[in-house]
Amino acid sequence: MVEIPGAVTVKVDVEDLNVYYGAFHAMKNAQLRVSERRVTALIGPSGCGKSTFLRALNRMHDLTPGARVTGSVSLDGMNIYDPSVDPVVVRHRIGMVFQRPNPFPKTIFENAVYGPRVHGEGNRAKLMAIAEKSLRRAALWDEVKDRLFKSALDLSGGQQQRLCIARVLAVEPEVILMDEPASALDPIATSKIEDLIGELKRDYTVIIVTHSMQQAARISDRTAFFLLGELIEVGTTSDIFTRPTDKRTEDYITGRYG
Amino acid sequence: MADAVLTLEAARIQSARGVRARRIADRMATGLLWAAALSVLAMLVLFMGYILYLGASAISWQFLTSPPSEVSAGGGIGPEIYNSFYILIMTLAFTAPIAISAGIYLQEYAQPGFFRTLVQFSAESLATVPSIVMGLFGLLIFVYLLGWRFSAIGGALTLTILNLPALMRVTQEALSTVPRTYREASMALGATRWATIRRIVLPSAIGPLTTGIVLIAGRIFGETAALIYTAGVSVAAGKGAYDLNPFRPAETLAVHVWYTHAESVVPDVARIGNGSALVLLVMVLLFNVFARVVGRFLTRRFTGKA
Repeated sequence: MVEIPGAVTVKVDVEDLNVYYGAFHAMKNAQLRVSERRVTALIGPSGCGKSTFLRALNRMHDLTPGARVTGSVSLDGMNIYDPSVDPVVVRHRIGMVFQRPNPFPKTIFENAVYGPRVHGEGNRAKLMAIAEKSLRRAALWDEVKDRLFKSALDLSGGQQQRLCIARVLAVEPEVILMDEPASALDPIATSKIEDLIGELKRDYTVIIVTHSMQQAARISDRTAFFLLGELIEVGTTSDIFTRPTDKRTEDYITGRYG
Repeated sequence: MADAVLTLEAARIQSARGVRARRIADRMATGLLWAAALSVLAMLVLFMGYILYLGASAISWQFLTSPPSEVSAGGGIGPEIYNSFYILIMTLAFTAPIAISAGIYLQEYAQPGFFRTLVQFSAESLATVPSIVMGLFGLLIFVYLLGWRFSAIGGALTLTILNLPALMRVTQEALSTVPRTYREASMALGATRWATIRRIVLPSAIGPLTTGIVLIAGRIFGETAALIYTAGVSVAAGKGAYDLNPFRPAETLAVHVWYTHAESVVPDVARIGNGSALVLLVMVLLFNVFARVVGRFLTRRFTGKA
C-alpha cells in the first residue's frame, strides 16, 4: 500500500473487497484508497476485474442476479455496504458513466434533468437552470442549446457520452465512476472527453477504468493495476509507468502481456 | 516455387467455383423466402376478397342498426355490435391492470427461482386451455354457481381468465425490448426501481405494449367458444339491448355468426352470416391498423424520437 501524501484526503476507502458471480470469484481481497479531487485510473488486461471493481463502488452489483459482494467500501468513512445504507442514496453521491453512451430515448433536456426530476425537482425554471449548468460543465451546451427538445438519440456518439456526463453532473455527485467512457468513440471525441475529465477533477473525485495505458498516463494522477481478479499494485501514475515495483505490472506496462 | 504457384492457381479456380455455387444458393434462398411471403399475402387477399364478395350485398344501414330476428327474414346485428364492444371494454378493464402488473413483476422484480417458475408455468398452462373448456368453466362458475344466468359480465370474466396469460406475456416481451443499459443508467443516477420502471422502462416499451394490447383486443372481439355458454346467444328485446346492465345476456357479433349458422331458423341465414362475418373481419382489421398507428404515435410521444 502506497502512502497517500498528507495534503490529500481519502474520499473512497476500499477494504477486503471480494466480488463473486455465482461460484466465480471475480475480485479477490482488493484494497484501495482513492484521493479526493484526483483522477484514479484502473488499468489491466480484459477480464482482469477492473470493471467489476468499479461497479462495486456504487453498488451496481445489486442489479446483477447472482452477484455477491463482501468487504467494505467507505465513502467519507461511511460503509456503503452497511445494511442501514440505502443504495439509492449511495448512487446519488457516486455517479457513473458507462462504456457505451446510453442516453435515454428522450429529449436532450429530459436526459440532462433526469436525476433532479427523480429526486423530486419539478420546477421548470430550476430544471432549465440545472440543464444549462450541467451541459456547460460537460462542454456540450454550445452544440445543443438550439435543440434541447430534440431526441438525444440523434446526437453523435461523442455528444451522447458528454450528455451522459452532464446527466451525472446534474445530480451533483461527489465521486464519478467512468467505465471506459471513450472506448466507443473516435479520437477527436475521445480527446474532448479527456479534456473534460481534466476539468472535472477540480470539483470531483474521478475513478476511471481504461484499457488504454496512454489514456491512463495522460489523465490520471494515480493508477491501479489489476490482473486476474486481483489488485496488483497502486501508486502515482508516474511511478506505475516508470518504476513499477511488481514484476507483473512491469510486464504489462512494457507490453509483455495480452 | 512453381508448385506453389500452381496450387495457388488451383485454389483460385476452386474458390471461383465456390463463389458461383454460393451465389446460386443465395438467389434460390431469396426466391423461396420471397415466394413464402407472397403466398401469405395472397392467402389474405383471397380470403378477404371472398368474405367481401359474399358479405357486401348484406351490408346496409338497416342491417347494422336493427335487432336480430328470431324467425322471420330481415334481422340485423345492431345489438351484437354493441355487445361486442361492451364485453371487449369490460374484459380489457379487468385484464389489463392484473396482466400488466404481473408482467412487470415477473420481468422487472422477480429473481429466478421457485415463485417465478411457478407463475410462468401457471400462465403457460392457462394459455393452453382451449377456449371452449374455458367457456364451460365460466358456465359452471358464473352462470350456475353465482347464479348470474347468461350475462355480459360472466362473458367478460371468462374472457379475462382466457386472456390474462397472453397479455402478461405481451407485457413481458414489451419490457424485454428495453435495453438493460437504460435501467442501469437510471439506477446509477439514484432512481429507485419503481421510478426507473415508471419513467424509463414503461415509456420505452409503450409502443410494443400498445400494439400487443390492441392485438389481444382483436382476439377478444372475435372470441366465440368461450362466450356461447357464458354471455349467451340472445339479446334483450327493444331498448334493453343497448343498456349498460352487465347482468343481461349479451350475444356478441362472433357468437351471432356461429349461432345463425348452427341454430337459427330464419330463412336468410346466409345473408346474416356473411354480413356479420364481413363486419367482424373489418373490425378486427381496423384493430390491427389502429394498433400500429397508436403504437407508433405513443413511441414517438414518449421517447422524443423525431
